[in-house]
Amino acid sequence: MRPNRTDAIFSALADPTRRQVIRALSEQGPSTATGLAANLPVTRQAVTKHLSTLADAGLVTAIRRGREKLYQISPRPLTEAVSWMADLGARWDDRLAALRDHVATAQRRR
Amino acid sequence: METVEREITVPAPPREVWPALTHSDQVSVWFGAEAELDARPGGRGVFRWPDGTERHVVVEEVEPGRKLSFRWLPFQRTLEGEVEPVPSTRVAITLDEVAEGTRVRVVEQSASARRTTIEHGRAEALLALAAIEA
Repeated sequence: MRPNRTDAIFSALADPTRRQVIRALSEQGPSTATGLAANLPVTRQAVTKHLSTLADAGLVTAIRRGREKLYQISPRPLTEAVSWMADLGARWDDRLAALRDHVATAQRRR
Repeated sequence: METVEREITVPAPPREVWPALTHSDQVSVWFGAEAELDARPGGRGVFRWPDGTERHVVVEEVEPGRKLSFRWLPFQRTLEGEVEPVPSTRVAITLDEVAEGTRVRVVEQSASARRTTIEHGRAEALLALAAIEA
């Protein structure tokens, strides 16, 4: 995956309101900023701003329907981010197991 | 979801586990990469993987026998000498004495929060430049 994008994704997801927006979108399906704001403790303007950040990170896409702008989740970057985190976790599992073996070996030599 | 947490219990007290985290020759045994680490706050570190990839860290917190944290700088150098951007993350390793020895806990999280970017932006830019010029 493109690492720059991972950075943008994690940066976008670092904000709790933006995570709420993502959650709301996944529950409600494609929604307008107004529709999202109705279920979130923030103004429509704030939701629009968060949606724009999420769109820049590639996490949501906007589709026009008549005069409305509908936002929906793009699942791929999220999957990529999750798999990057999974790789990171697997690397630490390997390292920590090796650390334990290293320490155990050193102990036996005493 | 931008945080990875792992832990393991190792059969030795924290004071004996600490050198395994801070002495380059010992880190190289378990890390999966050859390490050169200056385990002091602000100290630099270089990790070289068997495939030739190289990454740099800046050490942040050092509490002997208790806590070590460092930040991966947001680039890596390939065997061909190319410098590629990678996500910057912060790693904190803490040691807690338990009955069986030491519980080693690792938390690695995205360092792309704005505050961190501002704090380290300058140092990162200089290091990235140094890496490209080297």
